Parts: sequence; structure tokens; C-alpha cells
Amino acid sequence: MEFLDILIVYWPKLLDGALMTMKLTLLGALIAGLLAPSLALFRLRAGAIAQFPFRLYVSFARGTPLLAQMFLIYYGSGQFRPYLQDIGAWQFFRDPFNCALLAFVLNSTAYQTEILRGGLMGVAHGEIEAAKAIGMTHLTALRRVTLPHAYRIAWPALGNEIILLMKASALASVVTVFDLMGQTRLIFSKTFDFSVYIWAAVIYLCLTASFVRIWDYLERRLSPHIHGKRRAALARGRVSA
Amino acid sequence: MTSTDCVLKAEDIHKSFGSVEVLKGISIEARKHDVISILGSSGSGKSTFLRCMNMLEPPTSGRISVHGEEILIKNGRPANPRQVERARRRLGMVFQQFNLWTHRTALENVMEGPVHVLRQPRAEARARAEAIMERVGLAERMHMYPSSLSGGQQQRVAIARALAMEPDAILFDEPTSALDPELVGEVLKVMQSLAAEGRTMIVVTHEMSFARNVSTEVVFMHQGKIAEQGPPKDMFGSPKTDVFQRFISDVR
Repeated sequence: MEFLDILIVYWPKLLDGALMTMKLTLLGALIAGLLAPSLALFRLRAGAIAQFPFRLYVSFARGTPLLAQMFLIYYGSGQFRPYLQDIGAWQFFRDPFNCALLAFVLNSTAYQTEILRGGLMGVAHGEIEAAKAIGMTHLTALRRVTLPHAYRIAWPALGNEIILLMKASALASVVTVFDLMGQTRLIFSKTFDFSVYIWAAVIYLCLTASFVRIWDYLERRLSPHIHGKRRAALARGRVSA
Repeated sequence: MTSTDCVLKAEDIHKSFGSVEVLKGISIEARKHDVISILGSSGSGKSTFLRCMNMLEPPTSGRISVHGEEILIKNGRPANPRQVERARRRLGMVFQQFNLWTHRTALENVMEGPVHVLRQPRAEARARAEAIMERVGLAERMHMYPSSLSGGQQQRVAIARALAMEPDAILFDEPTSALDPELVGEVLKVMQSLAAEGRTMIVVTHEMSFARNVSTEVVFMHQGKIAEQGPPKDMFGSPKTDVFQRFISDVR
């Protein structure tokens, strides 16, 4: 039962790590998710010149490794310590958790914005026109028609992005955040028992698998007009499962 | 006639897309209880004109007034979005492609405007929406999503959605053109009943029988202008222009 021993001894540490991983991922995805809608609208509506800085940021965030971005924030901020102290931001940057979170937010915002932009572009124009024609304000039409459709279209891709972010969060261990990967490495350095990596993999798998379940459930809740119909079609035997 | 009788007035409407002038100065006036059919071959600008009246396409020049209130346009766009929204609440619109909100049930489509535009209490809006669904003959299907309804049923939901706003006039943009032939009748029947109860309607259509038997006035558009206009009896009885003469013989 050697294989289980390490889990019996170290499960509180691994649990701590898993919670930290979830905290990093969900907080990062959530903050990025709050920023994405207005940025996606900006990407669709603003002029090319106004967009230029934002597009530069998106291509940087998507075109460079997340690890490099995290190093840039974590080690880079150290270079500017006197200045950051002056403006009172050092408190924030000296905590590696904050640096990792900031890197995740910057990275995921770029991805989520582009995913949602695709969703917005896929909304049937006629439905938006019907919202206008009935006298909805711009904001009401967005809230009641455009965004609900855009999110339904973007939902699977957004889920993918969050899963990728969860796996990428293992990188935070490199800047001394004790997430699941960080704890695992710490345990391995104490015990030299390789099986701890297997347990870490199992936990990651459980995390992503449960996330996928929740995300699918939400998708069905969000699109009863599609899934209800599919269920009915399945019952009639028209669509193969 | 007093000015309050005039529900919707369009004066000298011009509309250009780039260098192409689609509308070359069109004026019509819809008084209460008018049912105006706008006819014309495709490309004559009739749909564009209809869309100008509720500012889905703001005219390049000309004036649109709803109940005597002119919608102000600046630089080819409505000057005041609030004013346009107010005008649109008084003008229902029914589209060729129905344009129902596919993520809401038929009943929710009908309730949407009253609840989220007119801010009516939900229960009240629901009761009224149910009554309207009954009226268009869809009481049994009101909890279905648009994708489960036939084209004719979807268009009747779209008419119900417009009716729920209690508009002063309803604009119809080729409401039967996207329907299978056997479904046209059920939509026309609803439209006919609206005309019979004195609703003000402006209908862009290819349905000659509707134009001839239901409307109070027929407008024939040709190449961005009104070529001929008058009561249906005169128009169809003795067409004055060659183009309209040719149009009605072609459609038959």
C-alpha cells in the first residue's frame, strides 16, 4: 500500500494546493469574464485607431507564453520597486499570488474577449433589429437579446478557455505560489516519492472533469430552446445520440 | 381632417446607399384606420422605405413624423435615440423573416416588449399576452420555442408581439414572402382581422388580393419613386401608368 501512503500523510497539503489552484483559476477567469463583455463590444464597435493599443495587448497576451508574462510581472515588478512603493502598489506586487493572478487575468481577458467577440458576431442580425423595432434601448437590447445569444454561442469555447487556464495555473508554482503543483513539488522534494505526481494528476483530472460537468449543465440550462428540441428529436429517434 | 388623425407621415424621403439613390423623394400619410399597401417590383425601394419609417434605416433626407412629432435627424442618424425609441414603441413592425427571439418561447416573445420596454407588471403583461396569443390562434402553442413552430405560426407570433405593444400603427415588411404557399392564408387572415377592427397598417406586400380587397389605399413604387397611388378600386380598375399596368399583369 505504498502508493496510498503518501496520500494518507500529505492529503491536507494536496487539498490546500487544490483549493489554491481553484482559487487562482476561478478568480482569474471571473475577473477576466467581467472585463470581457465591454471589451468585446469595444472590439466590434470602436474605430481602428482607437482599437490599435488593445489589439496590440491581445496579440501580446495570446502570442507570448503565459510563463514569460508571469515572470515579467513577478520579477519585472521588482525592478521598479522604488517607483511601485511610491505609488503604493508594492504591497500588491510583492505577493506572488497577486502577480500570478494578474498574469492570469491579463492572459484570460485577451482570450475571453476574442471568444465573446466571435459570439457577438454570430448573433442573428434580425433578432437585434426586432429588439430595436420594438423600442428597446441599446442597453436593454444588449441585455435581453444580444448578450444572451452571444454567450450561448461562446459558451463551449469559454469553457475550454477556463480549462486551459486551470491547467496553466500550475505555472504559478514557479513563482512560489503553493497551488496544487507547488505543493506537489514540495512534497516530492521532501519524500522523493514519485507517486505524488500521479496523485496530483488525478486531482487535476477530477477538477477539470467536475468543471466540465458543471459547464455542460449550465449550457443546457442556458439553451433550453436548443437542447429541449434535441431531446425531443432524440426521443423521436431523428438524431443519433 | 384634424392633425391628430395623422398617425404617421413621411415627407420627401430620400435614401442613398453610397452613390446609389434608392429612394428619390417619397411622401405618404397614414391616418387612423388606414390600411396602405405598398406594391412594387423588387428593387423598387419599398422595403427600404418601410424601414425608414421606424428609423431602422435613417433617411438621407426628408421628414418622418409620428403623431405630428418629427423625428430629428442629424448627419444621417437620429439626433436623439430616446425620441426614436419612443416613436418605435408606437409603431409595431413585422418582418419578412419573422425575427422572433429564438431563445424565448412564443409567449415570452410577446411579453418581452410590455415587460422590458413598457415596464408593465409581469402578471398583467402575461395575461394580456395570453389573450393576444389566443386571438392569433396560438393559445395551444404559446409555450413552444420559435424553432418548433411553422413559418406561419412564427409570423403570427411576430404579429402578436407587435400587437402586445398596443401600437398606433403596424408596419409589415413582406409578411408572407418567406412562407410556404399553404401557410400564407393563416397570416393574411390575421392581418385581415386587424384591418377589420380599424388598425392602422402599412403593408409592403406582393399579395395582390390583400392589396385589392383589404387595403384602403394602394401605393405603387417604381425605381425609388411613387409611380401611382390611390384607392384599390381605381388602381386595379383603371391603372393610369404603363408601369403599374405591366406590374399587375405580370403578377397575375
